[in-house]
Amino acid sequence: MKIEHKLYLSNAVHILLIVLIGIFALRNLNAILTKFRFTVIAEGLNATFLEMRLAEKNYFLYGDEEALTRIRNSTKKTTDTLQRVKPEIIRAVGAANYIKLQDYLNKYTKLVESIGKAGHRNASSQKKKLREAGQVLKTFSEDMTALESERIGTIIGRSKNILLYSFWAVVLFALLLSNLIVRNIGHSLRTINDLTREIARGNYQKIEAKPSRDEMGAVLKAINAMAEELRKREKEIVQSKRLASIGLLVAGVAHELNNPLNNISMIAQTYAEAYDRLGKEERVGFMERVGEETERLRVIVHPLLDYAKPKKQYLARAAANQVIQKTLALVKNMLDISNIKIRQNLAQELPDIFIDKHQIQQVLVNMATNVIQAMSKGGELSITTRYLEDDDDVEIEIRDNGKGIPPEFLDHIFDPFFTTKEESGTGLGLWVSYGIVKNHQGNIRVRSKVGVGTTFVITLPTCKKLGVA
Amino acid sequence: MAKHSIMVIDDEKIVGDMAKLSFEQDGYEVETFLNGESALGRLKDKPFDVVVTDLKMKGVDGLEVLRTVKKLYPGIVVILITAFANLDVAIEALRNDVHDFFPKPVKFKELKASIKRALGDE
Repeated sequence: MKIEHKLYLSNAVHILLIVLIGIFALRNLNAILTKFRFTVIAEGLNATFLEMRLAEKNYFLYGDEEALTRIRNSTKKTTDTLQRVKPEIIRAVGAANYIKLQDYLNKYTKLVESIGKAGHRNASSQKKKLREAGQVLKTFSEDMTALESERIGTIIGRSKNILLYSFWAVVLFALLLSNLIVRNIGHSLRTINDLTREIARGNYQKIEAKPSRDEMGAVLKAINAMAEELRKREKEIVQSKRLASIGLLVAGVAHELNNPLNNISMIAQTYAEAYDRLGKEERVGFMERVGEETERLRVIVHPLLDYAKPKKQYLARAAANQVIQKTLALVKNMLDISNIKIRQNLAQELPDIFIDKHQIQQVLVNMATNVIQAMSKGGELSITTRYLEDDDDVEIEIRDNGKGIPPEFLDHIFDPFFTTKEESGTGLGLWVSYGIVKNHQGNIRVRSKVGVGTTFVITLPTCKKLGVA
Repeated sequence: MAKHSIMVIDDEKIVGDMAKLSFEQDGYEVETFLNGESALGRLKDKPFDVVVTDLKMKGVDGLEVLRTVKKLYPGIVVILITAFANLDVAIEALRNDVHDFFPKPVKFKELKASIKRALGDE
């Protein structure tokens, strides 16, 4: 369900609950109000009864006609009141009780008449009956009032409790619901966060998340689609980079070959043209120089042949530090002659890498050669290894304090045949090294500052990262 | 009959050596240089008739030699040879009054014919 809908539903339920509580409260209040009104009426009736009894006592004490009239009036008033509030009384105590009340009142009224006729001194049995009837009426009315008051109390008490409970129920329910929704959103957001972080790292894997048909699910779907696109694009980019690299290579080769070819051409032309004039040694010399030029050609062409065949890798588990130390042993003489001091900063515990030792050694030798060219008057070469935990890579850093590389060259430094003006060599070393490292699922980067030095950083995945036993 | 003089500038030593042999055979006086600076320095002392120069050299390159020679010694014929044939460069060279343009590998026959034509025109 969409989050929007969840929220609407939650709101609706809350409103419903509150409305229900409200209705409940209102009904109880109405009930209380009705009962309260009744007690007012009942009190009124009580007062009338009291008046009646007083008149009755008065008559029996003094026996004057005035008192009798007063009793008659009171009884009439009571009868009228009873008649008037009949519906309220029936609602409060039921029809049966009303009839009972009416009967006793009638009985009382009749007794009053008969006592009046007989004269107050004579009707002692009637007087007794009258007193009894009066008592019944009084008690009855009082009981009715008390009962109603009690009922009011009960209703109020009950309402109070239920309101209290439902208040807490609503609060709890609200907290629970919002907690659920927030957790749901939070979980989805966390998933998205992890996903995008992986994508930022260049890991365009699809996330298998439970497909929820709400907004979060839609976002996840979109992100997965984006990752898929990125993966496709990356492949395209790698491909076009490769093509561009080949293009550069071909252009570079053509260019590099041209000079030795021209030289051979010129030697051949001159040899043919001036054959008669040339002495034996000169002619021999010419051919030797042709040989030298073809050697130049060979040096250019040879690494290309390697590039043409898919370079078979003999991969094995290896310790980076060990490979480095072996390579250093190889190049130590070369470095010593150039007055270059070696400083090693190898990490104590490095996870193993999965490499073709020979190829990686080739890369390191190439690095060393570059360092020697950068520091013709000597300097310091420092090698550092470290384990990058976040990426599960081993990092090899090779730093010199030589003359550095100008920023405009840094972008091209791994191009085939790239050399700065001062460098000797064909300019293929770094290009080949780049290829080797890339073939190992690694990366090689360069940082440099003119006058300060250059740093090459090679990263290679650990055995664990590659999923190698 | 004064010999015509040719200056050959190329950072590939073989080019100079072979050119020298080839041109001397035809009776020219030849001096070879491995870079632009030394060649221009020499021009101060000796006015050559023809300068044959490579385009891509470290330091002072062929185009700069062309411009300098045309500025200081407009009478000197300049011919460019290059492994690096490119339209922009060709246009630039033409604008600077280059006499001829030869991509490497160079055929001596054609180069010498061009030189002869240039000197004949004088």
